[in-house]
Amino acid sequence: MTAMTTRPTLLNSCAFAATAAEARFRINAKPQTPRSTRVVALDAGAAAVVRELVDHTWMGTRFLTFDASTAPPVDVAADGRLADIVLLSAEGPVQLSDELIDADFTMMIATANDGAVAATVIGRACVLRGIMTAGVVVGEGHQVDAAVNALRPHARVLLVTNDRNDVAGIMSAVGA
Amino acid sequence: MLRQEINELLTQTGPGTPMGELFRQYWIPVLLADELDEPGGPPVRVKVLSERMIAFRDNDGQYGLIDEFCAHRGASLWFGNNEVGGLRCAYHGWKYDVTGQCVEVPSEPDNSTFCSKVKLTGYPLIKVGDVLWAHLGDPATRPDPPEFEWLTVPSDQTYTSKRWQECNWLQALEGGIDSSHVSWLHSGGLRNDPLFKGSKGNEYNLNDMRPFFEVVDSDGGLYVAVRRNAEEGNYYWRITPWVLPAFTMVPPRGDHPVHGHFWVPIDDENCWVFTFDYLPTRPLTEGELTAMREGHGVHNEYVPGTFRPLQNKDNDYMMNRDAQRRGDTFSGVKGIAMQDASLQESMGPIVDRTKERLVSADSGIIKARRKLVQAAQDLRDHGTTPPGVDTKHHRIRSVSIVLPKEESFLESCRDALVATPGVRQTTV
Repeated sequence: MTAMTTRPTLLNSCAFAATAAEARFRINAKPQTPRSTRVVALDAGAAAVVRELVDHTWMGTRFLTFDASTAPPVDVAADGRLADIVLLSAEGPVQLSDELIDADFTMMIATANDGAVAATVIGRACVLRGIMTAGVVVGEGHQVDAAVNALRPHARVLLVTNDRNDVAGIMSAVGA
Repeated sequence: MLRQEINELLTQTGPGTPMGELFRQYWIPVLLADELDEPGGPPVRVKVLSERMIAFRDNDGQYGLIDEFCAHRGASLWFGNNEVGGLRCAYHGWKYDVTGQCVEVPSEPDNSTFCSKVKLTGYPLIKVGDVLWAHLGDPATRPDPPEFEWLTVPSDQTYTSKRWQECNWLQALEGGIDSSHVSWLHSGGLRNDPLFKGSKGNEYNLNDMRPFFEVVDSDGGLYVAVRRNAEEGNYYWRITPWVLPAFTMVPPRGDHPVHGHFWVPIDDENCWVFTFDYLPTRPLTEGELTAMREGHGVHNEYVPGTFRPLQNKDNDYMMNRDAQRRGDTFSGVKGIAMQDASLQESMGPIVDRTKERLVSADSGIIKARRKLVQAAQDLRDHGTTPPGVDTKHHRIRSVSIVLPKEESFLESCRDALVATPGVRQTTV
């Protein structure tokens, strides 16, 4: 073996570039602009999960609740026009369409299938606007099958979990 | 001898350091242009001033220099595909244009605007001469592109190479303004190297091993002049210009091409040495170009496929004691570039200047350090634009000349030290 072949780790090789020593030269720049996130609780159980989140520190995330018992009826199968729904925010009732104006990520939380209609409306509205959707179903096993089925067509990412802390974990990870 | 904190100020060039901020006032060479020759070609890793970046050229021919690592999960974009409109990360397909702006996140919906919120750090990258230059500083203080003569002559009159040197940038630069070592370390090269031998100046160099020094301020840095005895009543002068932060030129020899260097920190323990040869008034001959490509003169041979010199610290620079004993080379190391690099690397990754014993012959080095410290402090404390940013400071030349003993080199060479298009270099 020649002297040259004993040290193949050249400056422009992965063997050199991927060392711990080289990691310290990564450019240290934080993401400048956070995601613009809406979190929508689709039922009463989900609203309880969301209430636990609002006191955390978030990057401008808005928390909303859909209350099927008080919301006006929505005809989701109507003639192609986009339906709108009323959601509850900390400031009072708001229209979904207004909330989505500058959103780029919507997370729907469900524990039951009470919010199936809202999930459909939100999912369609987000597709139209190019907004990323995620769904989190909090519950165990077959108890939440209906909620999963209701969200599946409308959430590009769907997480089924019995750990309600996963909601905060996901939000933190995506910069909400 | 320097205090430790001054040595650290001079040698540390990462983001936020005083010397790092000084370097970020200038355009600095980061790649040879032929490393990104082809639009849409493969990306190239770049590390300078302790920042890791990726350079690429999009299909429209635009150059980009951006953070090496994808904003998504930190994978290296070196594995990326250079597609129409940008560089796509090989991991999950995030795509970036030449400014670092993310233009596509495939996991998001079709008409999502999320990618508009994702931007990697990006720096301008421009081609001047055969070199790609970057400005890593504040866009508001971006200077005009460099105008060193080696970059502005026709392309058949200039040649540039680069090599990786495994030590701090400053000890490498100091070799470039330390004319007193030439008669010793490079004595063999003056006799044998095809790009050095044969000039009358070499005889003066080899016949007077105890030169005198004069160091004079210039607008952009310094002139380091060395005089040796010539014929009766005359001195042989070699004048080396240094322009802040890291540009030096070697005084010419006969009709050989004129050479010099730009010393660029990679990190605090490595540097790039950009080495050029050019002639102001005639094309380089095929023989000269061949000699440069073969590693003669101030160039070097390489480990194939890399910019690491073939002679390096892992093989003791292929040191040849027999050649040293015969006097073919003074240090036993072949080639002028590697003679310098071997000794500069032997000083350690960052030489400890608290333990030096400088002598008066080191006046150029002493003055250069003082100017660098002053420039860095003036920039930090007062926002003062440093010397060498103004492109007027780039239009300089090195000179070798025989003058009557009573003449001032500076007065006699005032015109010769200015790069004037179409005017031959002043050389002996």
